[in-house]
Amino acid sequence: MIADYSIGLLVAFASAGVAFFALMRETDGLHRLLLTDLIEVVTLAFIALVGTDLAEALILPGLVVGVSELIALSEIYRVKEGYVRPPAAGLQIEVMESAPGILAAILVVYGIVLSGFSGGAVAGLGVIFYFLSRSHSERFELIETASGYSWVLWIVAFFVFMLLPEYWFFAVMLAGSAILVKVMAKMSLIGTMRGGPDV
Amino acid sequence: MSEIGGSDLFVLEFGDILHYYTPYTTTLFVLALIFTGLAILSRPEGQVDIAFGGDAYYAKETAVSEMRFRRFMTIACGLATMGAMGSGDIFNFTLFASLVGITNVGIVAAVKSRHVLDAAYEYGIVAMVATLPLFGGAALILATTGTLSIPALAAGGFAVPPIGKALLALGVIGEGMAPFYAAKAEMFRAPGAPYVIMCSLSSLLIFLRVVEIAITI
Repeated sequence: MIADYSIGLLVAFASAGVAFFALMRETDGLHRLLLTDLIEVVTLAFIALVGTDLAEALILPGLVVGVSELIALSEIYRVKEGYVRPPAAGLQIEVMESAPGILAAILVVYGIVLSGFSGGAVAGLGVIFYFLSRSHSERFELIETASGYSWVLWIVAFFVFMLLPEYWFFAVMLAGSAILVKVMAKMSLIGTMRGGPDV
Repeated sequence: MSEIGGSDLFVLEFGDILHYYTPYTTTLFVLALIFTGLAILSRPEGQVDIAFGGDAYYAKETAVSEMRFRRFMTIACGLATMGAMGSGDIFNFTLFASLVGITNVGIVAAVKSRHVLDAAYEYGIVAMVATLPLFGGAALILATTGTLSIPALAAGGFAVPPIGKALLALGVIGEGMAPFYAAKAEMFRAPGAPYVIMCSLSSLLIFLRVVEIAITI
């Protein structure tokens, strides 16, 4: 166990060394931004090496910090380089017209069966794929509203856990469905990143 | 336990995770609080460039919406700093420190000036890279001692690895560039006086706090 941890730590430090060396050699702004993502992954590996429930809970905030810094920096890069052109229209491939419906339906149904955070991720993946392949004219304010309310329900479930522990089953079900809807709605927005109406 | 911060004035417990204030951290907290209040109340400067060797000067125009965004970021930075001052959990502290790093970039990100944006971008990459030693240090301390609570670590009985402490301090230096403010000088050329100073103050405060943590645990 300890030996495993030491080997893992060694590999993580070696990867960090490689990533820092690459960052030192690279001079192009955009490539350096991409290389910082490599370092973020090693950071998550450091936390994941601990391998306890606590470490699992710590990965999520670590990931959120990394992603938010990446988004902030790419926005600065976009503004400072003056890229204002909207993205071009999507790919015109026949299979991307027919397949998304079926695949998205399978993934969403399987996600609902899984429920909870991982279910939301699976169902969200289906919705991302659907929005990426097809043109979309959904009313995203509505999706966002649903996402916001389900987040509130998730928090309510936590209060039930703390204040009325005897209703734990109800709270589990509430939290599981609410986080499913929330994660799915948030992830579906990624599918709309190439622009379009109502986004 | 070496109490460099003095005895606890106030402890707010959430189970294992707690917030505590010693005379030392209370001083830092009050500093952050006062400065956040000043940033909320004060009116931003209008920056003037003097042309060298003559009487001419340029007055720089800054839009209200830009200033509003920067004030929001300054307040967010102040809140993150205050959180970092009182946190009794190492991982929470690292999260607050990285939030300070993001908001520091955010304070100058709305400026429509190429050289300020260039500096903010370079500094942002350093802040992002610094999350590796920051979280890595916290993870090492968790792996070797099994706890992240600063009072529990300070109580003794744990061998906190010096490399963990060193990584933690290195991470905070990277997030705030703390003793090397000259590295952020280009950022401070952004117009809007009370807001850019928050970049310096917040990084100074998180640096002072990590020194206290490294000595205490």
